[in-house]
Amino acid sequence: MTLAAERETEVVYPDPTPPVLGGFQGLPARPGWFSQHLGTAAILAVGGYLLGHWIGNVMTSGYDNVAASGINAVPVTAGLLGGVLGWLLGIGALNYPLAKMAGMEPRPDYESTSWTRYFRYTADHKVVGMQYVIGVLGFLFTGGLLAMAIRTELLSPTSHLFGPGTYISIVSEHGTVMMMMATSVIVGPLGNWLVPLMIGARRTAFPRVEAFSFWIFTAGYLVILSALFYGGFPTGWTGYAPLQTQAPQGMMSYLVGFAVIGVGMMAAGFNLAVTIINYRAPGMTWSRIPIFVWSILATCALLTLATPTLVAAGLFGILDHTAQTAFYVTEHGGSSFLWQNLFWFFGHPEVYIMALPGFGIVAELLPVFTRKPLFAYKVAAAGMIGVALLSFFVWQHHLFQSGINPDMRPLFMLTTELISIPTGFIFLVGMGTLYKAKIRFEVPMLFCLAVFFNFLIGGVTGVFLSDVPVNVTVHGSFFVLAHFHYTIMGGLIFAFFGGLYYWLPKMTGKTMNKKLGKIHFWLMFIFFNLTFFPMFLIGLLGQPRRVFEYAHNLQALNDFASVSSFVLGASFLVFVANFVWSIFIKPTPSPANPWDSLGLEWQTPTPVPYYNFARIPVVLNDPYHYGEENPPAIADLGDGILVAAGASSPASVAEDPRPPAE
Amino acid sequence: MSFGGRVSVVLGLLVVVIGFAVWGVVGFLLPQPPTVDFTSAQTPTGAIDMTVQTVPAIGFGYQPVWVSYLVKNPQGQWIHSTVWKLPAHTRINVTIDQYDSGSPLRNQQWWRVQGTLGGQATYNGKPLSVYDSNTGNNGIGHTFTVPALNLSVPLVGVDGNATNTCGSAPCTTNFDHNTMKFSFMTPGAGTYSWQCFVPCGGGYLFGNGGPMTTLGYMGGFLDVVA
Repeated sequence: MTLAAERETEVVYPDPTPPVLGGFQGLPARPGWFSQHLGTAAILAVGGYLLGHWIGNVMTSGYDNVAASGINAVPVTAGLLGGVLGWLLGIGALNYPLAKMAGMEPRPDYESTSWTRYFRYTADHKVVGMQYVIGVLGFLFTGGLLAMAIRTELLSPTSHLFGPGTYISIVSEHGTVMMMMATSVIVGPLGNWLVPLMIGARRTAFPRVEAFSFWIFTAGYLVILSALFYGGFPTGWTGYAPLQTQAPQGMMSYLVGFAVIGVGMMAAGFNLAVTIINYRAPGMTWSRIPIFVWSILATCALLTLATPTLVAAGLFGILDHTAQTAFYVTEHGGSSFLWQNLFWFFGHPEVYIMALPGFGIVAELLPVFTRKPLFAYKVAAAGMIGVALLSFFVWQHHLFQSGINPDMRPLFMLTTELISIPTGFIFLVGMGTLYKAKIRFEVPMLFCLAVFFNFLIGGVTGVFLSDVPVNVTVHGSFFVLAHFHYTIMGGLIFAFFGGLYYWLPKMTGKTMNKKLGKIHFWLMFIFFNLTFFPMFLIGLLGQPRRVFEYAHNLQALNDFASVSSFVLGASFLVFVANFVWSIFIKPTPSPANPWDSLGLEWQTPTPVPYYNFARIPVVLNDPYHYGEENPPAIADLGDGILVAAGASSPASVAEDPRPPAE
Repeated sequence: MSFGGRVSVVLGLLVVVIGFAVWGVVGFLLPQPPTVDFTSAQTPTGAIDMTVQTVPAIGFGYQPVWVSYLVKNPQGQWIHSTVWKLPAHTRINVTIDQYDSGSPLRNQQWWRVQGTLGGQATYNGKPLSVYDSNTGNNGIGHTFTVPALNLSVPLVGVDGNATNTCGSAPCTTNFDHNTMKFSFMTPGAGTYSWQCFVPCGGGYLFGNGGPMTTLGYMGGFLDVVA
């Protein structure tokens, strides 16, 4: 069906198609328990790993260098790749292309209301979004536990819990898990769940690609985690050669895992970018799309354009370890600088892959809680595009200390400082919206305000760091560590939680406990700052990153940071308790539009029907006309229902045409 | 599902998650070589005598081809461990039998004996303060270096033309070897890491991987107790 025809069609419930789970047309239907799901994915992943490992051993066990080092990277790599392939086969991600190649037709997707849909490969963007919520929280808490291990080790400069090799492995695993989580923490859960609803679409452009992005993301998580079973890797999350080249087998988990997750990032970015460009509802012009969607579009451009470099870099590293090529081995004709350039050509845009969606959430929420229009909407959108464009021209500031041509330093210092201008646009848009506002200090708003506080510190120290003399002075120290935790955790993760508290009532139909939410916020905000601010001082006093011993005179500051970090870690448990209690154990139904938002996503019934809108809405204005005397209508939902500020929510009058969930 | 059922599901999942976390930490992060305790092995003079050896290939375990240190415990048995418990403020007399070969080193820092009592060591019974690794057939095979104590002793390698070399641990003195002896004082209580600083991880690019970065082979801890 063409897009135009699809828009003209009104969805009729119930869907007359009988529900049949997966498989191919022409083959007998299978009972639910025998169909593809998380369990079959796990079984085939283990089988694929074992088969790949065996093949790798058969191929290489007779080679001298394997015998000399006692290390063989080929079976590990083949095993990990076999595991990923088995995982995708087991979940059903490859059904469609395989069926097409075999000249068969897969069965059409169907609407499911069973809880088991969360453990399956599904074309429903809302289910994929919820799968991502749980997935990224799993990533976040794994990385958080590793952070607790780091801070426990740093309680004393001389008494050690871990060996030096184990410590750097924990640091590396923490960094890699967190960075991979952070690339998807908003685009995955909130981007996939919300973007189609916000732009008035019934689905994303490529639903199978969207689901693929999630399941390969989870495979990548398992691959990266497997590094601990192979003795870890000593490079930190940046994976620098030559350390990478001489690392043990755990390095293969890093390289394969990064490449696998990179494929997922490209898939997620491509799907959402195409959706935003092509699937907007009638009237949803570029000047009317929600600012959160602008941020996702800018992020998706970065995901699609920057990530291929990471995947290529990872493949080169895999070849160096397995096929004995020398991409990163200077002595054999390669260059360790090649890795640094490829990695940071992805890595610095990645910083904005993480920052931009956070800005989008904050800009989206501020008008709702200030009851004011978003100040300078177009400047905010321009700022996001500006940040995205400039982010491709700053990567060499990571190489200031690596022996780059000194004449290049001023150029990259300048471009790095320039990027603070469009970032400042977004910051000023927030300040303009807050100016003279009557703020509702709800939990999501508290997180948004915290983003401004934290990101100001992270951003200003970032401007310092872009300056070559300062960079040279504090390079590789805890100062740098504190800076990027202030931007990524202080910005992105706070914005993520703000977004979760804001949209979870829509996503789940349940209300999060407000008191627990505020306890979570205050603990997280206070102890985040008490954990990471001392690290600026620790860094200025000379403590390097990634080293498990430090000068005795820094123990008091380190102990203060460690104890604070334990409370920070505990604050996440408050969120988990709130989430489990409010959503699962003792759910309280949420009002249809608890924040009185004008966003299209709130104008649908809850739970949102499979096809989102029975009739595609016609958009009449941008969704930020709060606090105006005679606000214009925002959208026409059909049947005379108009969305406007002050009007009762259409969601409360438009009933879900579906039969009730089982 | 009933309220009780939901609570049970959550508690069950919680137990599984905690179980995985504990398994990961205990099974993969905490394991270290066994600690060899010398605190009750003081001689009448109050000093402690330790005998250590370095071998070109350990010959057993999950990485049999890796170079490694071993230590003789107070009961006279060779133990594959690099974590040694020592009393604080005590003289330690160390004898290291070096069974591995050596090579010239670029960094002359590792040619020097430093941080020992008297600023010297003995090499096959002769005093040694600097060993020029570029002369002769021996080179330097390893160092015993404790950065926090500013202690470092080069271990002269076995002659490159030697034929009676040891193939697997523990080696006996019938094989070609060099003996280094030195003494040092332990500081106050704490855990002090030590490390070989010669890139000796055979099979790894630049020799810095494998045993060089694995506790129990070319690095360990002095666990000094009050």
